[in-house]
Amino acid sequence: MRFWELCLRNLKENYRDPLGLGFLLGFPLLFMLLFGLAFGGEATSTFPIGVIDNDHSQISQAFADEALAEVPVFELSTYDDTTDAEKDLKFGDLSAYITIPRGFGQQVAQNWQGEETDVILQMTYDESDITISEQIISIVNAVTRSFARIEVPVTVNANPIHIETEITYIDFMGPGIIIFGLLILIPTSARIMVRDKEKGFLSRLLTTPARPLDFISGYSLCLVAIAIVQIIIFIAAAWGFGMDIVGSLWLAFLVFFLVGLCSIGIGMVVASLSKSENQAEPLCWLFAMPLAMLSGCWFSIDMLPSYLRYIALAFPYAHAIDASRGVLTRGVGIEAIGTDFIFLVGWAVVIFVVGIFLFRRTMRS
Amino acid sequence: MDDDFAIQTFNLTRFFGTLVAVDGIELNIKKGELFALLGPNGAGKTTTINMLCCLLKPTSGTATVLGYDINQQPYRVKEIIGVSPQETVISERLNSLENLNLIGRIHGIDARELKIRSQQLLEIMGLSERAKDQVRKFSGGMKRRLNIMMALIHNPKILFLDEPTLGLDPQARRAIWDYIVQLKGERTILLTTHYMDEADFLADRIGIMDKGKVVALGTSTELKISMLGKHTMIIYAWNLTQKVIKEMRSKYAEVEVTDGTMIITDKKLDFREIVDLLHSSGAVVRSAYIKEPTLDDVFLHITGTELRE
Repeated sequence: MRFWELCLRNLKENYRDPLGLGFLLGFPLLFMLLFGLAFGGEATSTFPIGVIDNDHSQISQAFADEALAEVPVFELSTYDDTTDAEKDLKFGDLSAYITIPRGFGQQVAQNWQGEETDVILQMTYDESDITISEQIISIVNAVTRSFARIEVPVTVNANPIHIETEITYIDFMGPGIIIFGLLILIPTSARIMVRDKEKGFLSRLLTTPARPLDFISGYSLCLVAIAIVQIIIFIAAAWGFGMDIVGSLWLAFLVFFLVGLCSIGIGMVVASLSKSENQAEPLCWLFAMPLAMLSGCWFSIDMLPSYLRYIALAFPYAHAIDASRGVLTRGVGIEAIGTDFIFLVGWAVVIFVVGIFLFRRTMRS
Repeated sequence: MDDDFAIQTFNLTRFFGTLVAVDGIELNIKKGELFALLGPNGAGKTTTINMLCCLLKPTSGTATVLGYDINQQPYRVKEIIGVSPQETVISERLNSLENLNLIGRIHGIDARELKIRSQQLLEIMGLSERAKDQVRKFSGGMKRRLNIMMALIHNPKILFLDEPTLGLDPQARRAIWDYIVQLKGERTILLTTHYMDEADFLADRIGIMDKGKVVALGTSTELKISMLGKHTMIIYAWNLTQKVIKEMRSKYAEVEVTDGTMIITDKKLDFREIVDLLHSSGAVVRSAYIKEPTLDDVFLHITGTELRE
């Protein structure tokens, strides 16, 4: 259990360093505080939503007049057909319009009777304004599910059309900001190992029979503990500032955890390649900054040229933002984010194998 | 392979770029011996130790530690060695007990034995009372002692001490010397130092290193005997006249006079003759003695430069 001894030592070293610990835990707090103050307020503004009832049943009317109307941030107006609604959407008078298709009442009634049926709604929204659409979709989804008393996500046939607007909201930004915060684990991880390298403590440990795997896991486990605490702070703070958690909190946590693991792995690679903090620091930012740009945490990667998008998708961060947004704001389950999930697991495994390999290469120069 | 040897090097060589740090050294260190590598900074002592404890790859040549090849079986070597690095490297925010336990447990020492050994060591090194204090609050001497203890906690058969008393005051040095003397015989110790008195006091055999090569090898006495061709007499006296200085210079090979001190060096010196001569010239001799050659003289003799920088 050499790795465990190394891990305990690393935990003690960090836990007993008030300044370092303050940074490790204070940074996510401060970061989320600034972010929350910057974006949290706007979540209270209202969305003008159009409703077109093609079902004309009692149930569909109740849905429009009661369930949707009760959402405080929705300003409802009814339309008879799509032409007017689409015109208002294009002029920016509407954020989105919901079409209740024929058969909606029946679908809901079946669910009330305990028969599980898909409930289908159609929604048309401004494609360029992802922040709004994500939030509206998640609200509509939640409202419909509680109205129809179903567990499974509602099928919202989203129908985006392109209109230029520029508003951002915490539900859209939240996951991205958390993942940016977890990107910072790259320099944090590298620093913790390189500090020992620079002071010669690692050399001392290298004269013991401990193996590369012991070293990498000893440092990583300590960092995993740090990452878990950071993720809890991130999620709690984002929630405190009004980020909706529609889907499974555990699933979202798992996605963040995997991203954290990938960051730690990159940190281990950087630390294995550098001899001093002075070398590791720029190397870390060389990784972290472009990765942040390409992750989609500040802007959607759909706007990137396709070759950049491919590069972005080769790294775990864009996948993680997609997956965590899906879970947090749309309430999707593991089946919907399966590919992203597997990609994250695979990436974490590969980066750690690379880390151990590089550590072995550089431990004896 | 000879069973009597704990450490053997075979044309052990290490380059750093174009600079040759260790130049094909051949050492045979016997089991239970305390062997000192003596030389100025940059002579290649630490590079030699780092190769022997598998931190650095030799550019060419190899070495064995208790029969294990450093290139082929590094983990077997690491199991039987203890290393006290030149810099004091301890985990600053752990206490001394935790530092010792860390190394002990990595070596797989069981908890009971570890407890006994760490308490023993702390007592011997005089750190028992501060066992639970974070070591960053320790004085330089205390840290240095802990640095050595961490090399000993797992009771290694081979001990490498790289400049164990570097930067310590004379009192603390003396305490560490006393402890190293106690360790002698039980295990093989390879010590590096640039203090001649340290090598002189502690070592069974001394290898003098300069510019990557072992330029002289032997016990302290053997090395000094190589100097026996030359004697030095040091005289403190008042009323030294130009006449008597001139006379001395005509009789002996080297005569240096500074401010009441006369240093005479030659192949053969007659103590009485010199003192009588001085007295008859009217000088008042306060003290006079024939100086034993030191390792510094040996070093000077071999390399043509002083050991001290």
